[in-house]
Amino acid sequence: MIASLRATIALLHPTFIRRQVTSARKQSTVLVLCVALSMVTLVALRGFGDSVNRALIRDAQALQAADIKVDSNFPLSAPLVDEIAAIETEGLATTARTYQFVSVVRVADGEETLLSNLKVVEPGYPFYGEVTLASGRPFHAVLQQGTVVVAQELLDRLQLQVGDRLQIGQATLTIGDVVTFEPDRPVNFFTLGPRIFIADADREALDLIKFGSRIDYEVLFKVNDESNLDAIADRIAAVLEPQEDVATYRSARTGVQRFFENLLLFLGLVAIFTLLLAGIGIQSALTALLRERDNTIAVMKTLGATGRFVTVNFLAVVSILGIIGTLLGIGTGLLLERLFPLLLGDFLPPNVQLTISPRTLLEGVALGIIVVTCFTLLPIFQLDELKPSFIFRKETGTWQWRWSYALIIVVLAAFFTGMVLWQLQRMSLGLYFIGGVLGLLLLAALLTWLLLWAIRRAPLNTMIIRQALRGLFRPRNATHTIVITLSAALGVIFCVYLLERNLNAAFVEAYPEDAPNAIVIDIQPEQRDGVAALIAESNLEEPALFVPTIRASITAINGEPIDAEAEERRRGDNLARPYTLTYRDTLADDEALVRGDTLFPTDGSVAAPVSILDTLLELRDFQLGDRITFRIQGVPLEATVTSVRTLTSEEGFAPFFTFLFPEAVLRSAPQSIFTALRMAPDQIGPLRNRIVAAYPNITVIDITETVDNAAAVAQRLVRVIRFFSLFSVLAGVLIVISSVYATRQARIQEAVYYKVLGADRGFVRNVFVAENLLLGGIAATLALFMAQVGSWALCRYLFEIAYHPTIGASIGLVAVTMALVTGVGMAASQSILASKPILILRELTSTE
Amino acid sequence: MNVLEAKAISKVYRVDGHEICVLDDVSFTVALGEFIAIMGSSGSGKTTLLSLLSGLDSPTTGRVLVEERDITDLSEDELAPIRNRTIGFVFQSFHLIPSLSALENVMFPAELQGQRDAKTKAQALLDRVGMGHRTGNFPHQLSGGEKQRVAICRALINEPHILFADEPTGNLDSKNGDAILDLLLDLHRERQTTLVMVTHSPELAARAERVITLHDGRVVADARNGVAAGAQP
Repeated sequence: MIASLRATIALLHPTFIRRQVTSARKQSTVLVLCVALSMVTLVALRGFGDSVNRALIRDAQALQAADIKVDSNFPLSAPLVDEIAAIETEGLATTARTYQFVSVVRVADGEETLLSNLKVVEPGYPFYGEVTLASGRPFHAVLQQGTVVVAQELLDRLQLQVGDRLQIGQATLTIGDVVTFEPDRPVNFFTLGPRIFIADADREALDLIKFGSRIDYEVLFKVNDESNLDAIADRIAAVLEPQEDVATYRSARTGVQRFFENLLLFLGLVAIFTLLLAGIGIQSALTALLRERDNTIAVMKTLGATGRFVTVNFLAVVSILGIIGTLLGIGTGLLLERLFPLLLGDFLPPNVQLTISPRTLLEGVALGIIVVTCFTLLPIFQLDELKPSFIFRKETGTWQWRWSYALIIVVLAAFFTGMVLWQLQRMSLGLYFIGGVLGLLLLAALLTWLLLWAIRRAPLNTMIIRQALRGLFRPRNATHTIVITLSAALGVIFCVYLLERNLNAAFVEAYPEDAPNAIVIDIQPEQRDGVAALIAESNLEEPALFVPTIRASITAINGEPIDAEAEERRRGDNLARPYTLTYRDTLADDEALVRGDTLFPTDGSVAAPVSILDTLLELRDFQLGDRITFRIQGVPLEATVTSVRTLTSEEGFAPFFTFLFPEAVLRSAPQSIFTALRMAPDQIGPLRNRIVAAYPNITVIDITETVDNAAAVAQRLVRVIRFFSLFSVLAGVLIVISSVYATRQARIQEAVYYKVLGADRGFVRNVFVAENLLLGGIAATLALFMAQVGSWALCRYLFEIAYHPTIGASIGLVAVTMALVTGVGMAASQSILASKPILILRELTSTE
Repeated sequence: MNVLEAKAISKVYRVDGHEICVLDDVSFTVALGEFIAIMGSSGSGKTTLLSLLSGLDSPTTGRVLVEERDITDLSEDELAPIRNRTIGFVFQSFHLIPSLSALENVMFPAELQGQRDAKTKAQALLDRVGMGHRTGNFPHQLSGGEKQRVAICRALINEPHILFADEPTGNLDSKNGDAILDLLLDLHRERQTTLVMVTHSPELAARAERVITLHDGRVVADARNGVAAGAQP
């Protein structure tokens, strides 16, 4: 082995290698840029992910504000309360309770109201981390009975200042300070309103926590002995109801952690897609670079150089270029990482410090080596096929299959799969992604082949177009590679864009005129008539429809308890979450039966019938006759499925209920009432003011305002995704440039022949422009086709919204792509256009 | 000893389904130290014959022997040392490696052999052909005649037994062409290297000891010149 290594090193010709690296600067530059591009986004994401994870792990206790946290959307069950008391009594831990909910607050000395996010906390909160205040004073020194701490946004929107008073529920409280940071909510992704901290001593005075209220109940634990942490958590877990949850700071996955996990996961997929396209660019650029060396290699072989000699020396050339590209990629990736704070803004926790870790650097170097090796093997191995007789006959010859090519394909496939699994850490998701990418590239390849085959046979009379088409198919033109790469990359970007437009159109811009735009919740039964009277003052076109709601959770199906942990691990909806039940004896206007003859049997054969929505069938294959056990305020209720409903309206803005009971079953259950209203937007504020003044416990939500806020958040995230997706387009652009350089000789010849035969420079330029326009147009058209199909399928089957092809925007996307490809292609062709024919003729007759 | 032997070699190319027979049943031998001219009009197959004799290409049928060794079925790696040590090649279009200087181009075959004195030998050869002052220049900085001188030096550095020259003056003006031919012949006499030269020029062919004439891929004449090798007709 050592002897073999020595023999290989002995084959190296340093002068030749050095000269090869420094000549063919343009193709070498494209190759280096492709290597760098393949790594830039992955290095940036890995480095950023490391920095975020370090911050989150370091501050894990602060993120939870406790060692252990118990939470529930319902009042804590008796066994849990008893267990907590026992733990406190045994001196194992100190506890603090918090209550989080939305409610409308009012200016104490005015009428203005604002939907806010309230958090009532006991002394002790937070056990870890600090709630920092604008004044710099300690949190619990300010948050005393009668005083609240609020977010600056509340002061701005209600035109208040510290010292003013707020009406919250039945209590009038004084604003004591402004909160600037919460340890367990370092990032404010989206809430229904600004934060207000309230001391627990004021909780009863608020009179806001009632039956049916939507409250997040939390109990925080600070253990007295760290070694008891898991034991205490296990004791609590043993008495939990399905709707209750416990987590230690080690095991918890907070909202912040989940957000960054999902964001980095998605961006990682985009980065791997970019890597794949850049890898195709590496292969294309190297092939072009080696084609320029065909004559040299043939001459070397006539002088006695063996295939091994040629391979070893060109491997050395590629390695040097690869190292330069790797270093450039790592450096640019680390710079890109610095852009994350700009891109994410206040989505980024303030305690995240972006540092360069040795691990990131090592990973970058390893990635560079592997990428260069995998994507350069095939062109290097193919050097063996070049015979010395190429000097005399420059035919390309038939490509011969070798078993070494199969090995290279296996290596490439293993590398790509390994990359995906390393990034995603999930086998099933990884395989889906690989399948998706391969499917996309295969589809792009198939469509490219078909379209180019058809175009090549199209009868064309216009001379410039005809010459341009011939140019697309000149030898060594990487037309197929360019179209496949560009169309795949652009297809993804177009799809994201079209999807965003359609989601915006469905949920933000084209809000249905007849859809509710305000919701009034937490109406107690005895308040209903009074609220109806207040609503009537708004002179609505249609009377308000009051709907009873009962909060419940599912505990068992057909007698079998549900597995809460397994349910919560599902992506999307699950059976362990709280549900809102309602009762009504008839179908709503937008409902229809899909199973069962009637909504409920009228013969009294079923004691507690329930009708379910067909969306529930995606979670479990419910059958008519199945028994579902609900828990309503601690009381079990077993109901039998007697029908399945579906929504007949495509627009999902009207309220709907997964479970519908007959009135007789739930009429007496603890309930609150809500109503959804359609009214003039400028009437919502005054209505809210009137209702909250009379009934402080009732919450009025302006839906369009909420949707606008959510849309703004979504748009920020889409901008981040779009920014990263642009890197994949860069790969296509580099391949365009590489192809222009690779076919330089042929283009020069064409240009000279045109001029010698009497064409002017304008004609030559127009032919090249037409060629690039065709190239860009073909790639963009294919991309648009795939994007339209993809976004239609997502809108139709995933989001279940109407699809609009947005013709204008689509044409715009195609036009921008054509302009981009033409710009790049013409920039790379400038030297050809500018050269005089006689100089080029001399260059052509001189073979070297 | 016959340094070169062609036994009934034929070459057929297949292009787009059509067969093109470039050489048809060509046989002859070449003795050590001979100066042979292979003559014929354009398309007669002379360059193809040269590529087969030198092992740069393989015949469709027939055998090629170099120094009584059958090279017909040898692999590229087996042919490499033969190309490096036994054969030298001078091309019509020079085919110097563009990224190497004149000196480095000449050194290259010797370096492949691992010769430590490659540079000294190369310098001496370049001095011999009057290029000693241009050793650092790259091919694009040299004239046609200068390039061909460098190419000749490169072909001779490993002292091959056979030198193949494919229209070595084809891309040169008459003055340079005569000078190059004189140089080739001088070196052939000095080193007793077998010289096989392809040409379409009867004047050039007349300076050879023996002329093999090809027409439509077949040998139509194989005659010794009455004139002594190298002399003007």
